Amino acid sequence: MNEITQKMRETARGLLNSGQVALVLGWEKGYPWYKSAPAFIDRGEDVDRLVFDEFCHNNLSKYLLDLVAVEGRIALFVKGCDSRGINRLIQDNQVKREQLYIIGIPCPGLKDPDDAAGKKQGDEIKDAAKCQDCRYPNPVVYDLLLGEKVPVAKRSSETQALIERLEKMKPDERYEFWAEQFSRCLRCYACRNICPACNCRECVFDRATPEWLGKANNLIENQFMHLTRAIHVAGRCIECGECERACPVNIPLMALNRKLINDIEELFGEEPAGLDPEKKTPLGRFELDDPEKFM
Amino acid sequence: MSIETNLNVEQQGTGPQAWEPKILVFACNWCTYAGADLAGLSRLQYPPNIRILRVPCSGRVNPQFVIRAFQKGLDGVLVAGCHPGDCHYSTGNYFTRRRYLLTKRLLEYMGIDPQRFQVRWISGSEGPKFQQVVTQLVEEIKAMGPNRKMRDQE
Repeated sequence: MNEITQKMRETARGLLNSGQVALVLGWEKGYPWYKSAPAFIDRGEDVDRLVFDEFCHNNLSKYLLDLVAVEGRIALFVKGCDSRGINRLIQDNQVKREQLYIIGIPCPGLKDPDDAAGKKQGDEIKDAAKCQDCRYPNPVVYDLLLGEKVPVAKRSSETQALIERLEKMKPDERYEFWAEQFSRCLRCYACRNICPACNCRECVFDRATPEWLGKANNLIENQFMHLTRAIHVAGRCIECGECERACPVNIPLMALNRKLINDIEELFGEEPAGLDPEKKTPLGRFELDDPEKFM
Repeated sequence: MSIETNLNVEQQGTGPQAWEPKILVFACNWCTYAGADLAGLSRLQYPPNIRILRVPCSGRVNPQFVIRAFQKGLDGVLVAGCHPGDCHYSTGNYFTRRRYLLTKRLLEYMGIDPQRFQVRWISGSEGPKFQQVVTQLVEEIKAMGPNRKMRDQE
């Protein structure tokens, strides 16, 4: 059992037993060994289920949307990316900061569960795509920090490499690439459901009047759904990479999200989402001297 | 939706000679629509390949409209509104500017040719500019041929 896990359990036990919080969100060991599932703990004696290992992928901030009815404070463990998710939800008035007790974990980087699937415990496993060039491994908002802050390593990622490869392609090749990806989509909406930037009370994809998105599962509707999703999370995506991990057919969604993040930074000079809970999102504000490259 | 149904009607004819581009223009009520009106009143000639759709403000145009337009058979889309600073609603077109800079990048990243989707500022007094923008757009799209990407197959 690692040091962080030990500290997590002690902290959670203290918080629950003293009645400071009503619920603790963390992770517990799942099955098989390369999965760690979210854990919802409301009794002091259950805290020994909590773990932190290199497979604690779930961004727990999303669950806060389902827990609005909980009376009392909610404690949750966050990695760097997850903490930005909390800022996003505060920005959208979805949660109140006072209701949360945020326990930050400086994240050493997680491993790819898909890569681990065929391997034995202890084998060399590659880093998860989202962690390869993580810019904020340390939580940006917390009440308590477990452990020492970790340095930010400048590394290259598979996602960025894919974006660069796509940008060099001819338009027709790019179109073929994305058409192939989107034609595999099952429209299970896992990418939306797991996304902390997707917090509309009624999603545009679920609306029947007007029916923005048809029910048929074909390339056209899938393209419409994915482009709409990308535009809707533009400037709000916190790069937690959950959409890509949740996707059952492995569509490289982060290559879409990350591209828009790059563009927003390049065009408007906006900082990444989820750093400042007070600021408006890049598409929800403007500057008088924004570029006008299309004129 | 009735607009989609009308746009979905395939143009008649055979061979590349018979093909004429179909272009959708989202025109803001206060500037571009007045500009188009002025172009008409001044008897300025421009190709009849455009369909004007009047919107209250260029900020009303949702990127989903643009995606759907391509899917329903349009060969080009133009979003046009007031110049920055002239918006009837003070700030609408500033949002348009940010939104469509990004949408344009996204559509290019998806493999749509950048000429097919354009954004322009055309004021109520710029009838000749409307004529010139539309003429140029139609010429460019004619040279490129029909849009085969993102087309609905039904």
